[in-house]
Amino acid sequence: MGDDEVRAMGHQGGWIQRLLRSGSNHAGALLGFAVAVGLFSLPALVFGADVAPAAPTEYRDVPYVGSRNVIWVIAQLHLLLAGFVLGVPIFAWVCEVVAWKGGEKRYDKLAKEFTKLLTSAYATTALFGGILLFLLISFYPKLMNYLTDIFFPSFILYCLLFLVETATLYLYWYGWDAMQTGGKKTFHIFLGFLLNFFAFFIMIVPNSWATFQASPVVIAEGTDMARAWAATWNPTWWPVNIHRLIANVVLGGYICGAYAGIRYLSAKTTEERDHYDWMGYVGNFIGVFGLLALPFAGYWLMREIYQYNQQMGITLMGGFLSWLFILQAMLIGVLFLGSNYYFWLGITYRIPGSALQYRKPMFAMLVVLLLCLAVWMTPHSLVASLEEAAKMGGTHHPLLGVLGVMSAKMTVSNLMILVTFMSFVMYWRAGKQDTAGWARIAKAIMGAILVIASIAVIILGVWGYFVPAIIRINYFSTSQVLIVIGVMLTITPLTALLLKSAKTTTEMVWGKMPPRAGYSLVLNAVMVILLMTLMGYARSSSRVHWHVYGVVRDTSQYAFSPALGYASGIMSLCTFFFCMVVAFIFWVATMGDKAKAATEPKKAELPHGMPAMAGASSALDKPNSTKF
Amino acid sequence: MSEVARLQLICLSVVGSGILILLFIRSVFPRVIGFVAIVLGIFMLTSLSIPQMASLPPVEEKFDIATVKTPTDLAAIGQKIFFSKGQCALCHSIGPSESARCPDLKGIGAKLSREFLYESLTQPQAYVYMDYRHEGLPKHYPADMPAINKNPIGLSRNEILSVIAFLQQMSGEPISVNPSELDVPGQVPAAPVKAALSGPAVAVAQAH
Repeated sequence: MGDDEVRAMGHQGGWIQRLLRSGSNHAGALLGFAVAVGLFSLPALVFGADVAPAAPTEYRDVPYVGSRNVIWVIAQLHLLLAGFVLGVPIFAWVCEVVAWKGGEKRYDKLAKEFTKLLTSAYATTALFGGILLFLLISFYPKLMNYLTDIFFPSFILYCLLFLVETATLYLYWYGWDAMQTGGKKTFHIFLGFLLNFFAFFIMIVPNSWATFQASPVVIAEGTDMARAWAATWNPTWWPVNIHRLIANVVLGGYICGAYAGIRYLSAKTTEERDHYDWMGYVGNFIGVFGLLALPFAGYWLMREIYQYNQQMGITLMGGFLSWLFILQAMLIGVLFLGSNYYFWLGITYRIPGSALQYRKPMFAMLVVLLLCLAVWMTPHSLVASLEEAAKMGGTHHPLLGVLGVMSAKMTVSNLMILVTFMSFVMYWRAGKQDTAGWARIAKAIMGAILVIASIAVIILGVWGYFVPAIIRINYFSTSQVLIVIGVMLTITPLTALLLKSAKTTTEMVWGKMPPRAGYSLVLNAVMVILLMTLMGYARSSSRVHWHVYGVVRDTSQYAFSPALGYASGIMSLCTFFFCMVVAFIFWVATMGDKAKAATEPKKAELPHGMPAMAGASSALDKPNSTKF
Repeated sequence: MSEVARLQLICLSVVGSGILILLFIRSVFPRVIGFVAIVLGIFMLTSLSIPQMASLPPVEEKFDIATVKTPTDLAAIGQKIFFSKGQCALCHSIGPSESARCPDLKGIGAKLSREFLYESLTQPQAYVYMDYRHEGLPKHYPADMPAINKNPIGLSRNEILSVIAFLQQMSGEPISVNPSELDVPGQVPAAPVKAALSGPAVAVAQAH
């Protein structure tokens, strides 16, 4: 900047100051005048933009809070809400189909109850999406320019998808009661399918933007469409798509469970308690169903990351993010424990008499789960002083160092999946007696499959120590995953066949679960949300100091990744905000029902409207509870 | 008070508030909030109890030509780059290692010409030398060698020449890179390696 320009600016500043001083007595008029001048001068900005050759702004910041933190919280909330909004339609549609095929109306009611949430949740998600977009454009104009240049065609596609998704959602929700019978119901089911179909594409289109940032590919010259497509089809796009799809189902299931848990705790009538106890069971079941498949998708994603860029894989698993996976193990471990605990509580309280029969297997499962969790949480290297390291013979503890490697972790995670699956099978079989002649053989086969599979998983895990990493990753770990999937695909149909002809010895009783069951459902939901926030941080941090890995470098003051302690604060904040937003959505959506219920005569109210958690005993309930 | 200690205090107060809510409030929703606060507080405390490592962006190492007087100086810089910015040691070992994802580099400076090394670093797929291994059958390695002069590693010509100097020194060979060959800032860069288009190894590469 030349001296003349500086002088001119100084002169200009003085003129403005004099004007302000003279106009201070007429602030209102001046403000109106300024607004009017501003409005009239808007077109001049367009011409001015062509004239001024100033360097483009790369970053903008928010004082005190920091632009990165603002983006972090808003993006995470948007992503969590999006996961909820995309997970719930899957959940609702499956329930509707179950009701349609099986004739159980309560599934239809459940599906409708959750679809009702969608309209308000959808608006909230879009609101956060809009805020995120404006903030991104404001804080990272250079990066957004770069991404827009590549992805412009998919931006348009995204808008179109939103239009059709919104129209389908309106038809699906507002047409619920009108399309209940015959061909109309079939059409309604089709609408539900379409809703999920469009939702899937709404998920994978922005996934391409985010995955391109992590694993960009070379963009050759070509049409806009060809460039966008090349960037979209990047190495981690499909692994992330599948991982997020399953994770959304898990999130939807566990949030449904948490909602049911809270409603169960505050239920004032036996009818409510029965309903919300059952809803909690369905939510937990769907959550566990997805959870069993989630580690496989996660493994595939990590494998693709390693294949794409070994450095990124090492940053995640062996670099500064390695301790993050200890936290991840803790959260997943608690989630597995919470889900199993809920199953065990169900066996104990919903199926009278089963507690004694299954006490020993439940205890054995608990021990196995805790042992597996202990191994999973074992760090590979320890923070030790020089003296401690000398005593250990290095930074790796002679025993813990062995348990802290991937071979051990893959083994225990597969075993935990097996245990959880068997917990579910146990719950499924409780209170039933086999009548089929081949039942004994079938049970022997299932037992043998389970034992052989467990031994095979352990053998492969131990063998994994003695082969090169690449053989372990490509063959051994994959085999472990296939074995566990094989167990599920064999035992599930066998059990279903067996139970088809089984005699029910003890009817399932709903509404008898203790308050801690409700809290365990809330705990599971919090664990899933925390996991999503944790892995969001991991994915973002794996790019280290790059906006687009290896292509667009982050040159802002926030080019570093914060330590886990600080990051966990933001994650917890996001989790808490998200819980509050979801609670608000539930509250708004059910406000009408409560008002309606208040005008109707109450049924089977507990003495003095005593909530279940406030010390209500099952003895207070009427004995004619709804049967399963 | 350190930042970690401050955060720990905040976490403890969050957990404490949750406990107080559970002890004294009977309404369900506040109790659930209290429970969630305890869970989140414990999560944060656990996160604060593990090693706190931030990932800082690498300082862009300045290649100060003025400090390079001899080929040995160049090799010293090359060694630093080999183990840091160049990220070579992430995949390559110096000495036999069965679990290494890429070829062992022991003695590479004696086995391959400087021109071949330069080409292998900048155009790794131009010619794949299947017989490189010291012993055993030729094999494919799981990781593909990236072009080292491009992002994300992006070494400059001077840095690549330093790494070559280090590889030669490490192999007990005389260093064939002379400091006078380095690009001086502000001057037009020299051709990548003047002899890059001559020599038997490159001739074979072109034939392939």
